[in-house]
Amino acid sequence: MEQLTAAALILLLAASAVELSGLARGLRAGYWLSTGAAAVALAACVWLLADGTTVGLDLWSPAPSLDLTWRMTALGAFFGAVVALVALFASLFAVRYSQPRRLDDALYPLFVLSMLGVAGAGNVFTFFVMWESMALTSFLLVLSDGQGHQRRVAALLYLGMTHVATVFAVAAMLMLADTAGSQDFGAMGLAPAGPGARTSLALMLAVVGFGTKAGLVPVHIWLPRAHPVAPSHVSALMSAAMVTTGIYGITRVGFDFLGPGEEWWGIALMAVGGTTAVLGILYALMERDMKRCLAYSTVENMGIVTLAVGAALSFRSVGQDELAAAALVAGLLHTLNHAVLKSLLFLGAGAVQHAAHSLDMDRLGGLIRPMPVTAGTMLVGAMGLASAPPLNGFVGEWMLTRSLISLAGTGSGVATRLAAGGALALLALTAGLALACFVRLFGMTFLGVPRGEARPIREAPALMRLALGGLAVAALAAAAGAAGLVRLLQAVPQELMPGTGAHVEQAHRITLDGGGSFSPVVVAILLLVLAPLPWLVLRLTLGATRRNRGPVWATGVSFVPSMQYTATSFSKPLRLFFRRVLVPEREIKVEYHGTSPLPRRVQYSGRVPAVIEERLYLPLRSLAIWSAQRIRAFQNGSVEFYLLYVFGALVVLLVVAR
Amino acid sequence: MSGGAEAVLLGAAQCAFVLAAAPLLQGIIRKLKARLQSRSGPPVLQSYYDLAKLFSRSETVASTASIIQFAAPWVVLAAMLGAALFVPMFAAVTPLTSDGDLLVVIGLFALGRAALTLGGVDSGSSFGQMGSSRELAVGALVEPALLLSLAALAIATGTTRLGEMVAVGAHDGAGFVDLQWGLALLGLAIVTLAETGRIPVDNPDTHLELTMVHEAMLLEYSGRSLGVLHLASMVKQLLLACLLANLFFPFGLQGHPDLASYVVGAALLAGKTAVIGAAMALVESTVAKMRFFELPDLIGSASLAGLVAVAITVWQL
Repeated sequence: MEQLTAAALILLLAASAVELSGLARGLRAGYWLSTGAAAVALAACVWLLADGTTVGLDLWSPAPSLDLTWRMTALGAFFGAVVALVALFASLFAVRYSQPRRLDDALYPLFVLSMLGVAGAGNVFTFFVMWESMALTSFLLVLSDGQGHQRRVAALLYLGMTHVATVFAVAAMLMLADTAGSQDFGAMGLAPAGPGARTSLALMLAVVGFGTKAGLVPVHIWLPRAHPVAPSHVSALMSAAMVTTGIYGITRVGFDFLGPGEEWWGIALMAVGGTTAVLGILYALMERDMKRCLAYSTVENMGIVTLAVGAALSFRSVGQDELAAAALVAGLLHTLNHAVLKSLLFLGAGAVQHAAHSLDMDRLGGLIRPMPVTAGTMLVGAMGLASAPPLNGFVGEWMLTRSLISLAGTGSGVATRLAAGGALALLALTAGLALACFVRLFGMTFLGVPRGEARPIREAPALMRLALGGLAVAALAAAAGAAGLVRLLQAVPQELMPGTGAHVEQAHRITLDGGGSFSPVVVAILLLVLAPLPWLVLRLTLGATRRNRGPVWATGVSFVPSMQYTATSFSKPLRLFFRRVLVPEREIKVEYHGTSPLPRRVQYSGRVPAVIEERLYLPLRSLAIWSAQRIRAFQNGSVEFYLLYVFGALVVLLVVAR
Repeated sequence: MSGGAEAVLLGAAQCAFVLAAAPLLQGIIRKLKARLQSRSGPPVLQSYYDLAKLFSRSETVASTASIIQFAAPWVVLAAMLGAALFVPMFAAVTPLTSDGDLLVVIGLFALGRAALTLGGVDSGSSFGQMGSSRELAVGALVEPALLLSLAALAIATGTTRLGEMVAVGAHDGAGFVDLQWGLALLGLAIVTLAETGRIPVDNPDTHLELTMVHEAMLLEYSGRSLGVLHLASMVKQLLLACLLANLFFPFGLQGHPDLASYVVGAALLAGKTAVIGAAMALVESTVAKMRFFELPDLIGSASLAGLVAVAITVWQL
């Protein structure tokens, strides 16, 4: 196992070196090597999960108590597997898709490596080295693809927010390391901190710090800006894999380092997760750019996963470890399913951009005819994220909803039970909105006829189709083999809460709490039988009917493409239904001919402002600038004064931290 | 269910029942509505004649339509028939007890909605796209109302398997009837009106573009495909009526049925669904259609009723 892990590391470093050196330029060797490395890493992580063991690797010790240590636990192996799976297909896609650019091509393997490193870090030091490396490589990958003001703003916002968040995360980790008396993750897990004001503070810091990476509201604002502007294979990695490192951080702290805690921890996480999910999908519905829509949907799904982690913490705080394990597995399963589906959709969006040179859903349309393979695979992705059974997106949501019904009905406190009821409402609303969002995404892009100018469009190249097809097959396999996946994922709660979760599922069926079960395979078979059967019966009894082709009916006038709904008009009912949350703005200017009542020109403009940015972040920015102005008084340019400050800070530190 | 053969028989019986009886319920509602409005109305069996006619007619499909429009009707019907296997009908059991629960039924309704709306978008017709847009907006609001109303009962009975939920209710008898029962019933009743496209949410008899939802999505369909979509929506209506009847008025249903109790259960179900159909006709004849953009008030109150029902239930545990 150590050998496999090391092989993946070396392959990724080699990939980076090859691209940096500029050798074998035309062969895209870096991406091929990354594909191989991801496959090796995936195999290693799945093996570890199935085996339930932990492997360690001491890499380097630059100074006493600063060790770079690789220690893959079951929890880390799961998130490592998610990263590796996304990287496998994203790298394959990038072989054909990405534009050769020396710095980007060399950074890409390092980005994958640092995400795997975050999942495999064995102590606080290693974790943050990898965390920073992940942030910086992804920042550079966002920044360097082309130019443009918007891109720079997005990248800098990302860089700023990720560093502020890292401060919170470091504070949380160091507090817990201090409590445990060790920086080693293994030792920190063995001495769980338990309830209390100090640990509550640590958890809150961790949720803010890691939640920023996962895109939780209200610290999500960088995500829908930064993810879409990167090239699609990087977007896929960021939106499907990198966000999960935030969930990893929250789970690692909440379950491993804290242990059973206070009742309100779970309630708070469920509230944050539920709000994030609803707001994320609402804003996704308002976007007309495919990739921005997908990025907001990532916010939604990380909210759902956070909700699951919150439910698991709630179960654990009242000692119901069996149900806590089930809720945690629901969250992990949804993390995995989301990673597969979201990378499929981001890569598909890349294929659409490659072919149609646009991501604007108000202009696209009818792509199912020139691009049948891309359309077919994206239909799997879209319906999966809309959580339509029997696809894999539904399975995780089924487990989570079922867990929440158990949480509302079993021996926890009244506050938790009421919170579970509220969470059910938010989750159902999210599911309904997600269906609207993904029917819109698929329908406006692939169905109807092109809304903008029609260009000749060619299907995506074979390698890109291969990556898309591979992900679609993975999604279908994850649905059919959901019960097996649940069994595999049991390793994680068994590691975090020893002695739990042995009988959550059986054979092809997932059973929760004895009072509900679901077999994705049986439902899939039912649908596969029940759809063609009536067709066949009618054909055999009444014969085949003729299908004539005719023009689209348009109330008697001839149909033109601009008669169609656009993505913007498609979501208008929801924009109005939720106007108090979204606060949409619109302006209609009418110009008249002199005194004639007939308008000469009508101009319509509308937008949905990012309310949280404008009402929360703009005042914060003003405050930051104001305080910077005040602090400038200390910056008087004299070295003597600066030395005095250093001395003063040292004295204060010695007094406080003696 | 114990025996495999019994499960297969019951499953086949339930599918056959919803396919055969759904047009009858539609006919009864239409006839009652007409009588309430002092019209003689079409014969009760008219829906069967319509379906028979549509099934043998040739189709005219828009030249811009793709495979989606061809496949959608069959997927919608399959989703409804699949859901029929998880809804208890003639007794407090379902054919596939362990393979799906109420959440799967809700999920299959969502799958049906996805196929229906994608089919509406496919041809590029602005009517289809308008209908899909509205259907999805209403569906997003309906989803929490549907889940919460049913979750209130699930939490009270400690299971999400619909057969067991009905069995607990039938066993408890009238002790089952309380405030949360009433609120959940109100929630599901409003959901049923919205999901079956009835006044005050949608008007099944209109082809006026400003008010259409469901009919707009069907405008580009003709012949056999149109017939299948009509049949699927009637099946959905019957399924919701079965849920209302058996979950909220579970009397007379057996948890361990023999042949006689199946027959009694079937007769009871026929009576209960007919009463529910009559209630729907009454609502449709006495209530005015709401403006589309006021629907959040109505469906939101259904969600609220469901949420309060859940809250009271968990409070009393």
